[in-house]
Amino acid sequence: MSLRPKHVNFDETWGTLRRTIEGVVTLSKVPRVEWNDRFTDVYTLCVAHPEPYTNQLYSETQTFLRKHVQALRTEIEKYESNSSLLKVYYDMWVKYSQGVEYLNKLYSYLNQQHVKKSKLSEADITYGGVTDMPGHMIEIGELGLEIWRQDMLEKIQDTLIELVLEAIRSDRRGDTAVSTTIVNGVVHSFVAVEDPKHRIPGDPHTHLTVCHPFSASPTFYEKAFEAPFLQDTGRYYQQEASKLITTCSVSEYMEKVIQKLNEEDMRARRYLHASSYGKLSSECHRRLVSDHLSALHSECRIMVENDRRQDLTNTYGLLKPLASGLNVLADTLEAHIKKEGLEAVGNLKPETAHMDFVESIILLYKKYKDIVNTVFKSDQMFISSLDKACTAVINFRQCTKNPCRSPELLAKYCDALLKKSTKGYSETEVDEKLSQSIIIFRYIDDKDVFQKFYSRNLARRLINHLSHSMDAEEAMINRLKQACGYEFTNKLHRMFTDVSVSSDLNNKFNDYLTKEGIKLPISFSIMVLQAGAWPLQQNPSPFAIPQILESSVQKFETFYGRQFNGRKLTWLHHLSSCDVKLSYTKKPYFIIMQTFQIAVLTSFETCDEMVYRDIREATRLTDDQFVRHLQSLIECKLLECDDKEFTQDSIIKLNKGYSNKRAKFRISGAVQKETPQEVEQTHVSVEEDRKIFIQAAIVRIMKSRKVIKHNVLIQEVLQLSNGRFSPTISVIKKCIETLIERAYLERTPNSADEYSYVA
Amino acid sequence: MAASGATNDEMMDIGGAELDNNKNEKMFTLKKWNAVAMWSWDVECDTCAICRVQVMDACLRCQGDGNRQAGGKQPECVVVWGECNHSFHHCCMSQWTQQNKRCPLCQKEWSIQRMGK
Repeated sequence: MSLRPKHVNFDETWGTLRRTIEGVVTLSKVPRVEWNDRFTDVYTLCVAHPEPYTNQLYSETQTFLRKHVQALRTEIEKYESNSSLLKVYYDMWVKYSQGVEYLNKLYSYLNQQHVKKSKLSEADITYGGVTDMPGHMIEIGELGLEIWRQDMLEKIQDTLIELVLEAIRSDRRGDTAVSTTIVNGVVHSFVAVEDPKHRIPGDPHTHLTVCHPFSASPTFYEKAFEAPFLQDTGRYYQQEASKLITTCSVSEYMEKVIQKLNEEDMRARRYLHASSYGKLSSECHRRLVSDHLSALHSECRIMVENDRRQDLTNTYGLLKPLASGLNVLADTLEAHIKKEGLEAVGNLKPETAHMDFVESIILLYKKYKDIVNTVFKSDQMFISSLDKACTAVINFRQCTKNPCRSPELLAKYCDALLKKSTKGYSETEVDEKLSQSIIIFRYIDDKDVFQKFYSRNLARRLINHLSHSMDAEEAMINRLKQACGYEFTNKLHRMFTDVSVSSDLNNKFNDYLTKEGIKLPISFSIMVLQAGAWPLQQNPSPFAIPQILESSVQKFETFYGRQFNGRKLTWLHHLSSCDVKLSYTKKPYFIIMQTFQIAVLTSFETCDEMVYRDIREATRLTDDQFVRHLQSLIECKLLECDDKEFTQDSIIKLNKGYSNKRAKFRISGAVQKETPQEVEQTHVSVEEDRKIFIQAAIVRIMKSRKVIKHNVLIQEVLQLSNGRFSPTISVIKKCIETLIERAYLERTPNSADEYSYVA
Repeated sequence: MAASGATNDEMMDIGGAELDNNKNEKMFTLKKWNAVAMWSWDVECDTCAICRVQVMDACLRCQGDGNRQAGGKQPECVVVWGECNHSFHHCCMSQWTQQNKRCPLCQKEWSIQRMGK
């Protein structure tokens, strides 16, 4: 056989070819030999001499297919409106589409040599330019599908779609008689007739490309089937929803909606083309959820208040896909946490305020953190609701004049845990509680206030050896450092270092004493603190130390001078304490008291009765300090006085009949209690520190910016102080004023709200 | 209030507290003294004129280093006195003398009188 072009009789060749393609499109048996011959025939016709018969072949084939499809339609129209129409159509379609695919192969030569040449490039299609060219040749397979669409599908689509919709409706009603294969096949035929490359039904991967990303105009499937289908679905769920919402509670409604949405999702996968999955579920979602948003929202408060977690989970799941659907829920949650929190900490008993405050907030936090994590899937929106609510509760101020008590209470809580007297808590419990207190710490606005209180308490613990465990102390400082940075805990660290340095120092001093052969009249131990690191008041009063202690002071100063260079020591007698043994009582007592108290008490060494004035002069304490210590000794019954109010001439007597159940104990000093004045004082000193901080911040900003607008400056100061405290605008303004007065900056002459830096 | 101050739970260990039946015993015997003192550099001006930080605190450079150190421990940042009796952070002054061998405050030639320790 020759491949050379030759004369052919078109009608004759077409006649045989036609018989074969009739067999092909009806999927009848076509023997291999026949197939091969016809394949050659197509070739021969296309290359015929002198004129190729390509166009003739194409149009004859077109006519043949059209007639074939029309014949099928005549047949199918007998089933008009009959549910078996679906099946008949499906069978015909399966057969025809398969046949056309084979046909396409038979016409390979024509497809490749003639169609490809005239085919438009992808870019031409994408960017328009060429629209429908009449008489334009397309591949035979594509042609076959096109003819099916024009002569079959478009003609009967209304009936067909109504039947499909009815089938899906009955599926929704739970009617199982619907054949998934048939409905699925019919639906996918809408997709297939437009694009022959993606014609295999039920393969989502190839189908995804059907909805061409560039084509704005909807595909035949979308227009003809999807649109009416979605409309029908919408109508169905609209009715369904309004029926449900009147008969069920919101809680039940949500359960049902979730079930329906799931079912519909499965249904989409059973019947529809993949491009419709999302559209279907959003349509259902719109009808079932969006349209009834107010009903769902109105229930939010009750669900949150009653901790109905399943309902909340459902609500979250349903509202999540909506643009701002969760706002109401998140706000409700925030408001509720805040309310619950304020109730919990609103009425604290003064004695246990710190414990109750911290523990109830931790409880609150844990509860809602759990809800946020499990119910709301750690959604950022709900995390921030919790944060906002906690911040509001923790920084709540009953009235704006008083400072917020939270930093103080939290510091006190830590103090209580770190003190020796902590009873009933194991070490791990203490550790856990301290870890948790960091949660609250992070929410506190006035971290500097906390720092002040904390450092005061720490100082007291360290000086009086009240710490339960140095490891716990250090761990806590490290936690604070982690949360707030090195600068924040710098001084706390230094206090801590002083303690260990001091213990070394004591050892060295004892070695020194032994070496020098000195024996002190009293066992001596000292803590040497670094100035500036400790939040201590200066010596409140002059003081004549009891003679017995003097030698210790002298010896230690000599020793210290040799150890270090250029240092001076200031003795803080108001912080020191003494162990004393009483020998005048029936049984001996060992008491720890402050050095000031000792000085007062030991005045009675030589006589049992003394006049106020004489004792005071002997100790050289100021009146104010003296009264406090004298009072403390009278209150613990070591001394006695008949006068209610002391006068210079009051007579003070030693209580020789003193008795106590315990033989060893500590009496607390007058100044050890945290008095309201001290709290007040702490707040005042915080205010001072803040002003200095703000001024330093302003100078730093001005130094780098040189010229700056007022508002920008305020913003930058706020930013810098963020994390320590939140200053008020008026305080910042005052600081700016101060700095202008002190000539650090000036107002620029040409603008009212601009400052420049004065170098 | 301080009457309740005889706190029972703070039992203290008192060194050598056995009873001795000395007839001439004093009424009050001081057994142990827990003294507290504060140290500071013996300086006339408590601010370092070079870095404007209190001499008791580490100078800015050292504070920065302390920041970087994992333990956050304060590095040793001592004070130095010149013959002119002016004092500065030792680190600040070492930097200074690389450029200028005079005391920044009085312009006298700088020589170290003593060093803090």
